[in-house]
Amino acid sequence: MSHAVEITDVPADTRRSRKLRTGNPAVAIPLLAPFLVLFLAFIVYPTVRVIMLSFTDADIAGVGGWIGARNYARIVRDKDFWLALWHTVYFVLLTVVPNTLIGLLFAFLVVRMKRFRGLAQALFFLSYVLPVSVVTQIWLWVLEKNYGIINYIFTLNVSWFRTAVPAMPATAFVTVWWTVGFNVLMFVAGLTAIPREYYEAASLDGARGGFKLFRFITWPLLWPVTSLVLVLQLIAQWQIFNQVYLLTFGGPFNRTRVVLLYMYQQAFNQQHGGYGATISMALFLIILVTSIVQIRVLRVRAL
Amino acid sequence: MRKPHSKVLILCLVLAGPAVLSAAPLPIVSWDFLGGGDGVKWTQLVNDFNASQSAYQVTSTTLPWGVEFYTRVHTGVVAGETADVMTYHLSHFPTGIKMGDLRPISDAELKSVGLSYKDFNPTLVAYSQADSKAYGKDGVLYGVPLDTHTVVIYYNKDLLTKAGVLGMNGKPNGTAGIDTFTATLKKIKDATGALPITTSSGNDTGGPWRLWYTLFSQMGGTLVKNGKLDLSAMDTTGKKALQTFHDWASQGLINTDTDYGAAVALFTSGKAAFMINGNWEVPTMVDLAKNGKLGFDYGVMAFPKLFDKGASFADSHELAIPNNMKNPLSAEKLKGVLTFIAYVEKHADVWAGGGHLPAYLPVLNGKELAAMSPNNQYSVDAAKIVSFEPNTPVFGVGGTIYTAFTNFMTPALTGQISIDDAVSQFKNEVTKLSM
Repeated sequence: MSHAVEITDVPADTRRSRKLRTGNPAVAIPLLAPFLVLFLAFIVYPTVRVIMLSFTDADIAGVGGWIGARNYARIVRDKDFWLALWHTVYFVLLTVVPNTLIGLLFAFLVVRMKRFRGLAQALFFLSYVLPVSVVTQIWLWVLEKNYGIINYIFTLNVSWFRTAVPAMPATAFVTVWWTVGFNVLMFVAGLTAIPREYYEAASLDGARGGFKLFRFITWPLLWPVTSLVLVLQLIAQWQIFNQVYLLTFGGPFNRTRVVLLYMYQQAFNQQHGGYGATISMALFLIILVTSIVQIRVLRVRAL
Repeated sequence: MRKPHSKVLILCLVLAGPAVLSAAPLPIVSWDFLGGGDGVKWTQLVNDFNASQSAYQVTSTTLPWGVEFYTRVHTGVVAGETADVMTYHLSHFPTGIKMGDLRPISDAELKSVGLSYKDFNPTLVAYSQADSKAYGKDGVLYGVPLDTHTVVIYYNKDLLTKAGVLGMNGKPNGTAGIDTFTATLKKIKDATGALPITTSSGNDTGGPWRLWYTLFSQMGGTLVKNGKLDLSAMDTTGKKALQTFHDWASQGLINTDTDYGAAVALFTSGKAAFMINGNWEVPTMVDLAKNGKLGFDYGVMAFPKLFDKGASFADSHELAIPNNMKNPLSAEKLKGVLTFIAYVEKHADVWAGGGHLPAYLPVLNGKELAAMSPNNQYSVDAAKIVSFEPNTPVFGVGGTIYTAFTNFMTPALTGQISIDDAVSQFKNEVTKLSM
């Protein structure tokens, strides 16, 4: 995080050398070419193709005719799309803020440790390293209705992922469990970067109690990290697909069908490649707009 | 001059000789979706074929089963990058033929390797030809049938004996008619405390659909009229079939929310008296019994007649050729593919080890199969009552119908939604999906 501050403070000699490089395209172009070729082939071209596809009635292999904006007219009136969007918003609400707060809480605990701090940090990060298929398989077993350990301990008989009410919260819980380690890491770095002297000075000036120190020193100084975590979280959680695909497949009665799963079902199960592309475009615009709004509102400094 | 010339000639002969005398085998690429016991049998057939001749070398790649497989085939056909031969499901023919993924295989082509349409189970051929007529070219087959596979009932003889419902012939008593069968299930529950029926009803989307479709077909229900999707029977027969399934569940006679592996484990560990599942679990039972790891005696029977007529959900594995328009099969490769198909069909007794009923009549009616246990306990009866999915594109293995069923009908089994709601939402979804 501290890098963000340093960038504004580029040493004079670096600036001079940058000027030198920009002045010589014959050197610059060959140096940039490998990146540019890959960028054009794997980022720009697919993006352009998806935009073009969204104006066609193509099947999944991309073969189809131009139908103008008909897919966009359809998506506006498509109740299933709006329902999927609402399910995605619900998932975002269940994950973004809780994941940030829990990450912060764990980071406080880790920072206070005098011994085994590295070990604790590693343990929190462990789940984040696991592939999503392993994570979902673990929780499908833990929360299994007939033999799962949770139902056994609490003598419940809940089918967590196949009952309408708990299905989405359970999916959100698994997501938080899986990804919170990354937030812990960010917050630990942020907390360690706050100079000790501020706390000492505040104590000398008569600040008493942990809450006051947190409210007036930790929280404001940690804000660049917190806001960055929130933005990254929002972007990641809007794109929810894997966990739902592996845990519930959108059921029961479509209660956990999120936008990308709906896109998948349209494009890959029903061979509506064109409409699937339109759904992707809609989600792209939603993520773009909400991220810009969020960055403005939270005044994310690092971005 | 002469001397060096002959040296060159000799060198050429040495280099080219092996190629001329024993040409390198022509590679044939195959795609399949076969896991578990089926995968083992398939690999055995491929290896046996490669060992049996030297002209061709088949390499088979296993891809994910279900929608993913068929999406892969379609994108491959469009891109001109396909296998030379592949496994396929009869229930996916309507979609596959409509999308142009399958190359027709004529009777003349089959005759070139000693097979003919007439050599196969006539029910399968007729069903397949109806697909050809409706979605492709009339009169041809878009795949060569390999088997019929269907829903059967596995039973634990020890538990049934304990409950006093095992007959002298080693088959369960009291399985004909829904009331009799339900009474038998209750008797088993009371006498043994075991779960009467285990079936897969969790993450596996096919299980509940197959059982429901079996009950629905036995009640005379159909989802297609004049070749078109028709869901009117859902409100009457459809509800009745779901109600039957639901009533078993609410009385604790069948499990719900149990994943595929757990459902099979309940039976193999002796905790359930019956298992309703596809015949593809036969290798599991055979292997466990052979290794002495099964703590009880088991049997397998065709699905009993509970309602108006005998019926059990069925599908068929087929051997098909991807319709690669950009890079069509050379005459040489086609011959290799057909030779391979003929070999597999003539050795379908190996394939029957997977519990399936061979489609090739000489093997189906052959001595090996009659002596094969436990296949001989159910094959003859099961073959008479097979009920295939309707011939319209919304149906088909692992596809949209499975998802819709799991999504709306399965929750009714545990009472999450009423049967009326489940059926009306299911109808709504299937109508949308068929558009």
